[in-house]
Amino acid sequence: MHTDRGSIRRVPTGLIVGIVLVALAFTVRALSPAFEGWGLSDRTQDTVTLALSVIIESAPFVFLGILLSTVVQVWLPHGFLLRFLPRQPILRRAAISLLGMFFPVCECGNVPLARGFMVGGFTVPESITFLLAAPILNPITIITTHQAFGFGDGILITRIVAGFVIANVIGWLYSRHPDPDSLLTPSFAASCARPTGAGADHDHAHDHGRPQSKVQTSVDLFARETAVIMPALFVGSLVAALTQVFVPRSVLLALGSNPVWSVLAMMALAFIVAVCSNVDAFFVLSFGNTFMPGGIAAFLTFGAMIDVKMLALMRTTFTTRTLVQITALVALMSAAAGLLLNYVG
Amino acid sequence: MSAKRMPDSHLATDRDTTPAWPARVAERWRGIGLSLIVVVATVWLGVTGQLGLYIHPRYFGFTLVMAVLGLAFVVASFFFPALAATEPAARSSRRRLLLSVAGSGVLLVIAAVTVLALPPATLTSATATQREINSGGLDTTEAAEQAATLVGTGDYERLSVKEWVSLLAQSDDPALFADKTASLTGFVLPDADDPDNVFYVARFVVTCCAVDAQPIGVPVYLPGWSNNYSTDDWVEVTGTFTPNPSGTAQASLAVEPTTIDAVEQPSDPYVY
Repeated sequence: MHTDRGSIRRVPTGLIVGIVLVALAFTVRALSPAFEGWGLSDRTQDTVTLALSVIIESAPFVFLGILLSTVVQVWLPHGFLLRFLPRQPILRRAAISLLGMFFPVCECGNVPLARGFMVGGFTVPESITFLLAAPILNPITIITTHQAFGFGDGILITRIVAGFVIANVIGWLYSRHPDPDSLLTPSFAASCARPTGAGADHDHAHDHGRPQSKVQTSVDLFARETAVIMPALFVGSLVAALTQVFVPRSVLLALGSNPVWSVLAMMALAFIVAVCSNVDAFFVLSFGNTFMPGGIAAFLTFGAMIDVKMLALMRTTFTTRTLVQITALVALMSAAAGLLLNYVG
Repeated sequence: MSAKRMPDSHLATDRDTTPAWPARVAERWRGIGLSLIVVVATVWLGVTGQLGLYIHPRYFGFTLVMAVLGLAFVVASFFFPALAATEPAARSSRRRLLLSVAGSGVLLVIAAVTVLALPPATLTSATATQREINSGGLDTTEAAEQAATLVGTGDYERLSVKEWVSLLAQSDDPALFADKTASLTGFVLPDADDPDNVFYVARFVVTCCAVDAQPIGVPVYLPGWSNNYSTDDWVEVTGTFTPNPSGTAQASLAVEPTTIDAVEQPSDPYVY
């Protein structure tokens, strides 16, 4: 933990420290089962087991997402994908909402990316569309949702369609805004007007200052992305496990079998637990037997776009007023999608 | 966080006014530390054959490959120095910085203890009672077909809990089950309605990972069973099916045991 300053001075001991820490972790893990008698109650034990199963199931997908986004951000030519976008605004936003197919990091990774896009010439509504669509319309989210739910109950289809529609409707609404720059925090608007000020964005890091090696930039990206995603994954998994073990089944069943309450309860849960969209399908799978499909779909749609962690990240870019509006719009449309599935599907 | 603070916080990322070093260390090592813990635990579980306690076997290969890649990134991040720029998120007040540092520390300690130090474990009856037994998780039609092929051979003792459960889900006609001896391995789970006289020989069915585990089981009628066996014990029960003598339990058929042996928990406690 204390190698930070050392490694800045390029002391190769950093590598040794790293290997020693990994070896230490393996040693602890290998020796600890020898000590029985932690004396945990069944419920505590199960909370740990359930949380751990979500973490172990999700972590490889998190790593894969970071890896793919690193390839696009660091190893492909800068602005490579933006050259192919149509010019007509509605078509352009529709194309942008599919950009997530190439940037399959969940919502946390997309905020820095969207900031980079805005500095690089996206309009504000276009970035909002990207920000809202990319967490859902990306290959990893679609694969994990399919792994968890298949095509059954229309959950996957509802999630994909609702994600696309919501992102484009909100992008269109904000394209009617007379002064889109007023949606941004003053500091970020200033850095957009003066592109060289965007030193914080990954894809511009190499534009000024010392040139960094691509490998180094990739590793750095890994550190940043995991710093945001892994804590959220741990806390989210723990909340999920605690809910499973300690909230009486009768309460869950009562909420989950009501077409309206199942949607509202799952949206509230999505807002609080803030699990990444890449892996939230595994998280919500445990509610699959108690909650109606519309509730699950609302969870997967709303939670991918908006949650406590996401709002904290977006606050770096957008004004509070804008975020309240976006949250309300996404919530209303996600609820509508969920209710539609419950009543019609 | 007030709006006034934002300009400072953004400029702070540029150069000299970077946050105090504990916050930088937390920001840099929080994700790497948590990744290290998860990756090491995953690889160890994989090597010792216990990954199945947490995830479905179809993910073993993918999970282990990504874990090894993650391990490479973790080790590499110790080799390469951090780039200067940090995310401008939440860089405002001292209190916020302190909170971020403390939060990272607490999270790392909790993760290290729960993921690296606690012995791996299977789910217990606490989760089974929280989820209704034989209510889902099993594709009973498919499992019943598999069972039917085994039934064709007349070798009923080879049928597992999963196959008996799917057969019972298809029909509870006593004539079909008469004279058939079942030999079942699972953990003891008291019946919800008649816990004194009936217990289930239960297993968890896992679809993706342990979080979606659904309990399934075959009811066993044995008044006073709890004098000799306790909940969560692993047992092998042999016996024949009879109409359930219990007046209150839901299941209409139950096994009348001839022998009950205590057994070790199998290395792969879940069924798929």
